[in-house]
Amino acid sequence: MTTTTTTAEMTGAPARRQKTLLGYVPNVSPFYNFHPVTRLILFLTLGVVPLFIYIPEVNMFLIILNLILLKWGRVDLSRLRIYLPVIVTVAIFMGTVVVLAPGEDPSFTPIDLGWVTIYYQPVFFTFAAYWRLIAMLFGTILYFSINRERDILVGLRSLRLPFIASYVIGLSIRAAGMFMEDFRIIREAELARGLDTSAMKFRDQVKLYMMYLIPLFSISLRRADEISNALFARGYNISGKVAGGGERLDYIRSLYPMTRTDWIAIILLVTIFVIIGIAQMGFGVFAITNSPLEQFMRQWLNIPPA
Amino acid sequence: MSITIENLEWKYEHTTEFALRGINLEIPENSFLGVVGPNEQGKTTLVSAISGLIPHSFNGIYRGSVKVFGEEVKDAEAVHLASQVGLVFSDPESQFTAMTVEEELVFGMENLGYDYAKIKERLEWAADITMISSLLDKSPYDISGGQKQRVAIACVLAMNPRIIILDEPTSMIDPLGKQFIFDILRNLKEAGRHTLIVVEHNIEQLAPLADQLLLMHEGEIAKLAPPDEFFEDTDFLLERGLYVPEVTVFGHWLRKTGKLPPAQKLPRSLDDAVSLTRTALQAKGGTA
Amino acid sequence: MATATANTENVWALEEGEVRKPGIVHVVMLALFTGIGIVVGTFGSLAVPIGFVSAFWPGQAVQSIGAVWFGWWGGIAAALFPLLSNSLSGSAPLPVSIAYLPGNLLQGMVAAWAFRYFKAHPALQTSKDWGIWILWGAIVPNAIGAAWGSTMLVGFGLITQAAQFTTFLGWFIGNTIPTIILGSIVLKYVSPLVIRSKAFCKEYWA
Repeated sequence: MTTTTTTAEMTGAPARRQKTLLGYVPNVSPFYNFHPVTRLILFLTLGVVPLFIYIPEVNMFLIILNLILLKWGRVDLSRLRIYLPVIVTVAIFMGTVVVLAPGEDPSFTPIDLGWVTIYYQPVFFTFAAYWRLIAMLFGTILYFSINRERDILVGLRSLRLPFIASYVIGLSIRAAGMFMEDFRIIREAELARGLDTSAMKFRDQVKLYMMYLIPLFSISLRRADEISNALFARGYNISGKVAGGGERLDYIRSLYPMTRTDWIAIILLVTIFVIIGIAQMGFGVFAITNSPLEQFMRQWLNIPPA
Repeated sequence: MSITIENLEWKYEHTTEFALRGINLEIPENSFLGVVGPNEQGKTTLVSAISGLIPHSFNGIYRGSVKVFGEEVKDAEAVHLASQVGLVFSDPESQFTAMTVEEELVFGMENLGYDYAKIKERLEWAADITMISSLLDKSPYDISGGQKQRVAIACVLAMNPRIIILDEPTSMIDPLGKQFIFDILRNLKEAGRHTLIVVEHNIEQLAPLADQLLLMHEGEIAKLAPPDEFFEDTDFLLERGLYVPEVTVFGHWLRKTGKLPPAQKLPRSLDDAVSLTRTALQAKGGTA
Repeated sequence: MATATANTENVWALEEGEVRKPGIVHVVMLALFTGIGIVVGTFGSLAVPIGFVSAFWPGQAVQSIGAVWFGWWGGIAAALFPLLSNSLSGSAPLPVSIAYLPGNLLQGMVAAWAFRYFKAHPALQTSKDWGIWILWGAIVPNAIGAAWGSTMLVGFGLITQAAQFTTFLGWFIGNTIPTIILGSIVLKYVSPLVIRSKAFCKEYWA
């Protein structure tokens, strides 16, 4: 069920958010005018296309594009700070590895920094790889920021994912939420009994968290029985057969009609994806050597073209 | 008869005692059966056997026969059983698997192979009768206990089974929520289109609705009678651990002490008790 | 909790006349275990974020444990949950996570195979059981997973060939240690409950 946004809503105060397991999604967003499968294809485009693109400037542009889309979609950008540690530490890790283990190749150009010697080619390659990774990450962030769990499942089922597969995915997402809720309840019960984790050593805290998993796994066993009983009571069986032997209808998906805008968007996105794929795989258009930055760096460091 | 049970016996895997012993029972169509008794006496096991959960979902030793509209439950398929028998569990959360209330309601109907028009019609009807129309877009985990149970009932109603079993439907909800549930049960009984089997500890509210009350004790049927007869021997009921409404115990005492005629019907509700007390006082020459 | 019995073969051997079939409970357990993996995997990646080599990933314990207990159902969960946990934590984009699938599947199923082949008790009752667990439940699966994963990263051009060994090492150590610690605790104390449940798989599907 898409939410139709009015002009007033779109230009008014920031949208309020709805908590999902996968993050926060705005209550109102222009993205909700698009079918979930359109949003899924947008994700597949923005989240996969960087694999074909070795030019860091293009991936930086994709990241900015993602940020613009997030802003347009009325997503609260302050929530992105939970990804900052990963973004920073990936950079540190990749940088450290390429400095300490650059590999050996006679064509590598050494650059003496005084305290360490680095090699231009693997460093720039790692730099480009980093931006590819972050561009793909932002594609994923965009997708989970503009889709509730139901939208994700409708999108997958629209691509003809078998019902049992989409059911398992939906139940997994729900199970993750239940698991975290159970964890919170166990923690609160312990806190109510006077447990003070801040006074514990890190090692003891790790042990404590690990011990929580025992009751959590036990609860899951009980839940498996309960849910399978509930599925039986609702007439579901492992074969997925429906009464009368006919095709299983998908009522919820029927509530999401595809519009002309959706078809135009999908055709556009698929075309862009295919063009980029062919351009790179067939003609190397997005090869690292075509990066203006790379060319500038070679000129500046007097390194001959590759 | 909607349900016929003959010599039913059941022992769960990894246990030593039979949970059900020598159960023989016939439940007429469109009647209301209240199942009562203390915990661990076989109430849930009995309704699980009627719904087909036993033996399909549990391992154990099964003897005897349970037939629903003439068909043997142990040989029926899940989808066919679900179309005949709806089961509402005591813990509403344990029966939710979808992201929204609307999806929960349509899941069973999709399993039954309903078409879109029928799904929409049943969805709206069930949501209306259980007063959850405003909750359809919400997650079933983000609503109150009473609302959850109403959603669970709506899920079953939407599938339109001929038999509806509710296993302690009010055990986990607040008093106001309980009242809603009993109101729904009253409406269903008055509609007269379903066989209703309700396991409950809240006997004061169950008894006025039930056509028959069944007391389970140690896996056997200790008593089966219409409510008027059921409470005749309150000592018998109390010995078997049943919580008898206090007004009934009071009425029984009035009868035992000669303040009420022996044939006087025992009260089951506060109103009945007030009326009876007035009668007793008037008989004594007092004022009511 | 069930007490240890002398004969570990009883856990995996079918009793006379025993018939075990896949059922809804297995599908549900697959989904629930995937949910557990999502939470444990996401938490691990966020707790010590280093990126796609995750210096501390207890998720692999869930992979091995799930496959030991639930056979292929656990193995499928092992392959599935990293798709979501990696996306939620940002530790790997979706195409990379999809490429990890075979490695993740093996990270679970190697343990499943070893416990059944060597008839090790899931509750780690003897030193042999411990040896099987540490070698085939932690070391070998993580070596396979780390090798596969780092190879995929090279294939996707996200790391250089020269960085592969360092990546492999970080991956291997970062997975193996939490697997041994977490997995041992869970197997030891929860296995007796699981073995008595309907979802427990003596064979690979039931």
